[in-house]
Amino acid sequence: MYEFFSEHQLYIVLTIVLICWAGIFGYLVRLDKKIQEVEKSIH
Amino acid sequence: MTKKYLLGLVLTIIFIVSLSIPMVPFPQHWYEFPIIPGLEEKARNIFFHVPMAWVSVIAFITSLVYAIQFLRKKNSLDDIKSASAAEIGLVFCFLATVTGAIWAKFNWGMFWNWDPRQTSIFILLLIYGAYFALRSAIDIEEKRATLSAVYAIIAGLTVPFFIFVMPRITTGLHPGSGGDPNGNGPLFQSKGMASNMRVLFYLSSIGFCLLYFWMWNLRVRIQKIALTQEEKSFHE
Amino acid sequence: MKSVLALFLKDVSSEMRTRYALNALVMFVVTSIAITLFAIAAETSSSLVLAGVLWILIFFSSMSGLSRTFVSEEERGTTLLLQLLAIPSVIFRGKLLFNILLMMFLNLITVLLYLLLVEDFIVKNFGIFSLTIFLGTLCLATSSTILAAIVAKANTKGTLYPVLSFPILLPLLVSVISLTKLAVEGAEWTKTIQDFQVLISYLAIALTASLLLFDFIWKE
Repeated sequence: MYEFFSEHQLYIVLTIVLICWAGIFGYLVRLDKKIQEVEKSIH
Repeated sequence: MTKKYLLGLVLTIIFIVSLSIPMVPFPQHWYEFPIIPGLEEKARNIFFHVPMAWVSVIAFITSLVYAIQFLRKKNSLDDIKSASAAEIGLVFCFLATVTGAIWAKFNWGMFWNWDPRQTSIFILLLIYGAYFALRSAIDIEEKRATLSAVYAIIAGLTVPFFIFVMPRITTGLHPGSGGDPNGNGPLFQSKGMASNMRVLFYLSSIGFCLLYFWMWNLRVRIQKIALTQEEKSFHE
Repeated sequence: MKSVLALFLKDVSSEMRTRYALNALVMFVVTSIAITLFAIAAETSSSLVLAGVLWILIFFSSMSGLSRTFVSEEERGTTLLLQLLAIPSVIFRGKLLFNILLMMFLNLITVLLYLLLVEDFIVKNFGIFSLTIFLGTLCLATSSTILAAIVAKANTKGTLYPVLSFPILLPLLVSVISLTKLAVEGAEWTKTIQDFQVLISYLAIALTASLLLFDFIWKE
């Protein structure tokens, strides 16, 4: 694992990019749930 | 409405550019980056890791500004803005910590080195955590808003200490900090960064900042609707 | 100033009547030093590590003691009476005075016991050491008093207090620990100027911010 990453450094960049987007995506999913709750309270 | 589409267009361009170029395996021509000693291809992390840290600081500042606004005018909308900014700031702060730890593992050999900047991002994480612990411990809305605003201001006052004092006390590993022999100023100001890389870095930072403000705006609007809905059901 | 003193004396006399905080805190200090002694029993530990351990003891004893001042008012239901009788800044200064006295007394006991019982802990420059303890206690009491006022209004008082305090006290703890290490090493006074500057500016900022913000907390 460690050796693979230190040889192919671009994959470290890939991991970091994926983590960033996963975090932002996770937050957006949470936001979506909040919207659903509000929608329920309106109807 | 046109403003929103414009924002969407700008964001799309910025993200396509800042996503694709760092991922191209053998970049040539204008997107060819000179190799920074000790960083090599890992240098591309800077387009993602550094904006995360910046956004978490910007979110903290927005939260602080609206906390002060709330104490001055006692408008519950300001509390919503302050808390939403802190919430998104927590997400970005967490991302900055995790991505920084991974980068540190491959550059400095360990996930956590207690480098001054690592310490300060950790403190920021602790402050955000304490802020939400305080908010969840108070039931009455107005009380919660006031107390958390006061806490945000007190915590904000200690932040300059970390930024200015900590790096001087312990030597750092980040480029541009005290322990770096050939560094004068952060990496994006030094000679090590080529101009095309610098343009890309600023583009990416602007993109993430815009994304943050958009997310914040969405969060505030949802909370606002929920608030008015609550008041409506209360009156009925 | 007179009313500040009156409030301070009221706190002291109500504390002397029950001795609740005092007894419990002295016992807390004694037990935690005993645990430290058991833990390092036969080992020879370096003075530098022991300097850090000393501040862990002081941090946690102050965390368990300092929140009492406002929580006790809240528990006995005397907050409303105080709100009617005195202006907020007077209350804050009275409470601060009481907290400083309490912490001074407690830290004196802690440091004396620590110096007596932990044999490996040898301080070479006693001037720096005592000034550090004095200034550190002052800073700790000042910034904890305002947080105690916040915590007194929340639901989970006991556990929340150290969580809220730690990030705010950290710049203080970092410089205080490095000062104690310098005192243990027997460094010159000139080396300590930077850390003392940090402590003094921290004290000034904590004091002005608390005085400005206490109104908002107290009115809730």
